[in-house]
Amino acid sequence: MSLLIIILGVLANVTLVLLLAPLFQGVLRKVTAQIQSRQGPPLRQPYFDLLKLLGKEDIESGQAPAMQRFAAYLSLATVLTLAALVPMGFPAPLSGAGDVVLVIYLLTLSGICTLLAGLAAGSTYSLVGISREMMTMIALEPLLAVAIVAGAIHTGSFRLDTVLNGSVYAVGGFPWSGLILLGAMLLSFQAFVQRVPFDISEAETELMEGPLMEYSGPKLALFKYAQMAKLVIYGALFVDLFVPWGSALAFPFGWLIFWLKVCGLVLLVTLVAATHARYRIDQAIRFFASLLVVALGALILASYGY
Amino acid sequence: MTARERLNQLKEKFGPAIQRADLPGDTRLFVYVEPSSLKAVCQHIFRDLDARYVISIGLDDRPVSGQFLVAHDFAFDRDHLLCSVLVYLPPDHPKVDSISDLIPGANWAEREFRDLLGIEPVGHRYPKRLVLPDGWPDGVHPLRKDVPWNQVPEGFDEEAEFKFDDPPEGCTVVPFGPFHPTLDEPAHFRLYVEGEMVRGCEYRGFMVHRGIEKLAESVLTYNDIPMMAERICGICGCVHNVAYAQAVESAVALRLPPRAEYIRTIMLEIERLHSHLLWVGLACHIVGFDTLFMQSWRIREPIMWIAEKISGNRKTYALCVIGGVRWDITPEVKAELRRLLDKLEAEWREVVAAVSKDKNIQKRTRGVGVADKTLVKNAGLIGPVARAAGADIDCRRDHPYAAYDRVDFEVITATGCDVWSRVVVRMMEVFESIRIIRQCLEKMPEGPLQTPITDELPVGRLGLSSVEAPRGESHHFVITGENNRPHRWRVRAPTYQNLQAVPMMIKDQQLADMTISLGSIDPCFSCTDRLETIDLKSGASRVWSQEELIRLVRKA
Repeated sequence: MSLLIIILGVLANVTLVLLLAPLFQGVLRKVTAQIQSRQGPPLRQPYFDLLKLLGKEDIESGQAPAMQRFAAYLSLATVLTLAALVPMGFPAPLSGAGDVVLVIYLLTLSGICTLLAGLAAGSTYSLVGISREMMTMIALEPLLAVAIVAGAIHTGSFRLDTVLNGSVYAVGGFPWSGLILLGAMLLSFQAFVQRVPFDISEAETELMEGPLMEYSGPKLALFKYAQMAKLVIYGALFVDLFVPWGSALAFPFGWLIFWLKVCGLVLLVTLVAATHARYRIDQAIRFFASLLVVALGALILASYGY
Repeated sequence: MTARERLNQLKEKFGPAIQRADLPGDTRLFVYVEPSSLKAVCQHIFRDLDARYVISIGLDDRPVSGQFLVAHDFAFDRDHLLCSVLVYLPPDHPKVDSISDLIPGANWAEREFRDLLGIEPVGHRYPKRLVLPDGWPDGVHPLRKDVPWNQVPEGFDEEAEFKFDDPPEGCTVVPFGPFHPTLDEPAHFRLYVEGEMVRGCEYRGFMVHRGIEKLAESVLTYNDIPMMAERICGICGCVHNVAYAQAVESAVALRLPPRAEYIRTIMLEIERLHSHLLWVGLACHIVGFDTLFMQSWRIREPIMWIAEKISGNRKTYALCVIGGVRWDITPEVKAELRRLLDKLEAEWREVVAAVSKDKNIQKRTRGVGVADKTLVKNAGLIGPVARAAGADIDCRRDHPYAAYDRVDFEVITATGCDVWSRVVVRMMEVFESIRIIRQCLEKMPEGPLQTPITDELPVGRLGLSSVEAPRGESHHFVITGENNRPHRWRVRAPTYQNLQAVPMMIKDQQLADMTISLGSIDPCFSCTDRLETIDLKSGASRVWSQEELIRLVRKA
């Protein structure tokens, strides 16, 4: 019985992420187009793009084709595993299989995939791209970790369903640390989902897609799919951690409200991306570093129960 | 100071070294000097008299005088004077003292006449090949008169690779180009990078040198050349078209009907409008701000439509012939242009307000790609790059041509020396262009469009013409010749000078700033020379070489 539910739940989450990711991408592109006085592609365009890429010839290129292929598979696999671990409108199907630390590891792993992809291509531009990606990761990952650990401190547990349920506000009094972390996460969210102004590691006009420059056809489709899915996963994580209100309502209301919130977040990402220029890596790192200092301050507050 | 006073100054200082001088008017001065004192004269003009270096020109004058000729052009911007220092060289193994150690901006020009004419710049510090491909055999100089325009010399190796210099120690090489998303035309920068910092670079361009000057000297006629000239550049074509026509007109002292002058002014300003709007869009795209890129191009589009209405084309207007223009501005177009300018002005005000307040864009452009006043002087930088460094130069005011002496406008300058200042200068120049067009529409008299030319144009006259292109001064040098075509025509596009300063501008900057620094001079390179085809049936792909393509085209 419970095994069946888990399997069904995993399937439901994975299918949902796979189905919704291109739609969100479509929304993002359409809204961007509207802001730019363009007509923009139809909402279903990203589905067609992926199908077209999947149907193309699978070209082996770069310095290490095997590693290149592995990186593409691993990238999507990691994101889909995450889909089974993050609550999306109902409790995470695999919540018994791991704790929040696993989530942090998996998020890091998806960054490692980009690193592998860049190494496999072996061109100067992809190497510059991954060095930027790594710098960003080193500065960014602690931010999310701090938010999750703060939640864990408040609730005294590393369990997925406990922490990923607005735990950052779970204090007796006014949730100072939670709100500070919310601000820090909002300011850095573009970087987690690799959008302008923080799409530094693949900056088309500087690095020609950086780590992905040797990718084409089906492998590119997998990477693109993983990137689209990342937007959904990070959106879900953010909503779980910081905007829990309404998610507890009975099915299907809680579920609907959850996805509306994720959709709202995607719109916010679109808006920020369309109204900003790209930062330089040193400017970005300085920005992340200052956010990290603030977040660490919040962690100290959290450990004293604020 | 007038041309005659300048000449007297030079004569006082150098006496007999000045062999001959021509003063065709108050605004042009041609000084012939002895080869041995050329360097001293140039140094005096450039440093002591503080003239701006424009370009150096080489010429195979053997069919006429039996000698080679080298000309160094200078501009006295405050005196409204263009000056050419000429020197005759012996026909065998011509050599001339290099001035590039005094005037760094002469670096390319001297290497160019070394390549194309075989005139050796003695004392040049870096006499590496510039224009000719590396497979080109030594001793064949295509611009010499005894080399036919279509000759492919014996021993030309098309596959020969460019020999690069060694990078400095501790640096890795990042190849930038020949194909890169922000380079719309082929050019190659080998960046020496330490971490994310650029420590230096080597430039390799001229990949699609088309030999337009050679064609003009050997195949085309006076009135063909304007149509060829505007194909030099896809964005500021009309500038070359007008500059060439003016150079010839100035050489043979031909007066234009006033209406033609106003129409030239209007078309040049229309071109500046669309070019500046295009550039602001591209600059935003380079720093990742695509919304403004799209908006800027949307605002630009109606300008292309009005250009099409006037000339039949969005670009390549085919405007000038010697002695006039080919298109009239009808009352309907006039009314439509007025409406368009009103709308454009309002929309552009919004964009400028948005950009000026945007901290984000300023963060990416302030203090980036710095070209200070010293660099502007030494490298001979022009246009918005110079004006953004506080150099108050603009050919429209300093060397007035067409109807610019009859309209009122401001020369926009800034003092930041960086990319942001260039953005500001270009954005503000859009308003000045709108002002100029409005005044032209107001003041344009009725009358003929062309001056009839009844006699053959006189031979052996020299003409200089500077036109302020959107990117800076376009300078054309013409010597009239026989067979209804010029004896020599030298084009110096603004990018020729500005690009030489890019290595200095990107030195010790972040790699990420390379693209916007390069973009900030609004570079203009050229078109492609190879393509790949895939046979659908067999699935085999092959790369066509330039030679095979030419054969294929000629067969058909």
